[in-house]
Amino acid sequence: MTPPEAKTVAPAQDAPGASTGSSDLRAPLYVAWQVTNECNLACLHCIEESGPGKAFRDELDDSEVFEVLRQLMEGEVPYLSFSGGEPMIHQRFFDMVEYVCSRGGQLKIETNGHYLTGENCQRLAELGVKAVQVSMDGASRETFNKMRVRGDFDVALAGIRRLHAAGVPIEINYSPTRFNMHEIGAAVDLAHELGAYSFYTGRTMYTGNAVKTWRLLEPAEAQYETYFATLRAKTDEYRGRMRVYYHEMGLLEELRYRLQNPAALLIVLPNGLVKLLNALPFVCGDFRRESLSDIWARFQRGWEDQRVRQFVDDLATDPNKTSALHQWVTL
Amino acid sequence: MKLAKYTKFREENFGGVLFETRSEKVYSLNPTAAAIVREIVPGIDEQGIVERLRARFEDGGGALEAEVKAYLGSLRQLGLLED
Repeated sequence: MTPPEAKTVAPAQDAPGASTGSSDLRAPLYVAWQVTNECNLACLHCIEESGPGKAFRDELDDSEVFEVLRQLMEGEVPYLSFSGGEPMIHQRFFDMVEYVCSRGGQLKIETNGHYLTGENCQRLAELGVKAVQVSMDGASRETFNKMRVRGDFDVALAGIRRLHAAGVPIEINYSPTRFNMHEIGAAVDLAHELGAYSFYTGRTMYTGNAVKTWRLLEPAEAQYETYFATLRAKTDEYRGRMRVYYHEMGLLEELRYRLQNPAALLIVLPNGLVKLLNALPFVCGDFRRESLSDIWARFQRGWEDQRVRQFVDDLATDPNKTSALHQWVTL
Repeated sequence: MKLAKYTKFREENFGGVLFETRSEKVYSLNPTAAAIVREIVPGIDEQGIVERLRARFEDGGGALEAEVKAYLGSLRQLGLLED
């Protein structure tokens, strides 16, 4: 008998399965679903251009939503996330959470933290979500409220405290800009104080709302150097107590890596279209017309498509190509 | 003995994968490893796993029991298995 062996085939990444050789898998390992583009906030940097009144006209209806969920659960996709927009705005949000959790799926909710009432936190705890990730782009009211237009630092903070009280695992996400980078150390400390078990950050992308607000947001490279140095120190400081994940890699490096190592990850848009990756404009499927297995096959072929490679190559000379990620290209 | 709370198992043509969703690490399993984890999922104990595997695999030199034990130990060490 061959000795049993478990080996790590993918380092911890934001996209799990990054090095698994996704073509060997019979289904994705992770589906990141933007369940609606509607949002109560209008954040300066929102990569989805979400905001009040920004729901897509053609978002999936209830029966279509649950048909997608049925396929994902029957396809044994082990890990899902619901994001948006603001996912907790979706009128069937808790029904969707219950559907996944009651069938053994592990589910992460990515929220701005403004709907984390005591009752909602309790329901999330009872339903057994794997984690709730809250965006906290600032360690102070001043920076948070500047970034998260219509948002309120104190509301988000109170929501996170209620999550912790309910026993829901907490992750914090932080998007750096020129006006909040200096708070990164305090933000990591705050995340730990709030009971988070993970803290995520990286480089803010030039896309979505950030295209219009870039002059307010764009960090200088020197700022990034200080930023990541602080994060290295905080990683050591909190080792064993809270995981601090940060991606120093720029988008071009990231995409070149992905071309060689596609993550076993599907990005599902509110209208059921499926993207290769958030940072690419390419669509490789449509849940309204295709099954999960067909989409998974198209996803594999998509990563081999010359247009994808060309886009990444062109990005080297024209970094502003990311400004058009919402002009989808069907592969 | 059971898979840890945030660990999911899925069978694949090459064997299987264990996905630890908190660290977001994926572990690739060969067919033998997948055969062991398949028995863990419904709650079979260590001795039961050995007996079931003996019925399916040749136990050359009686090494199977030690191999299963070592493998379960490695899963525990990685935080993928809990008692």
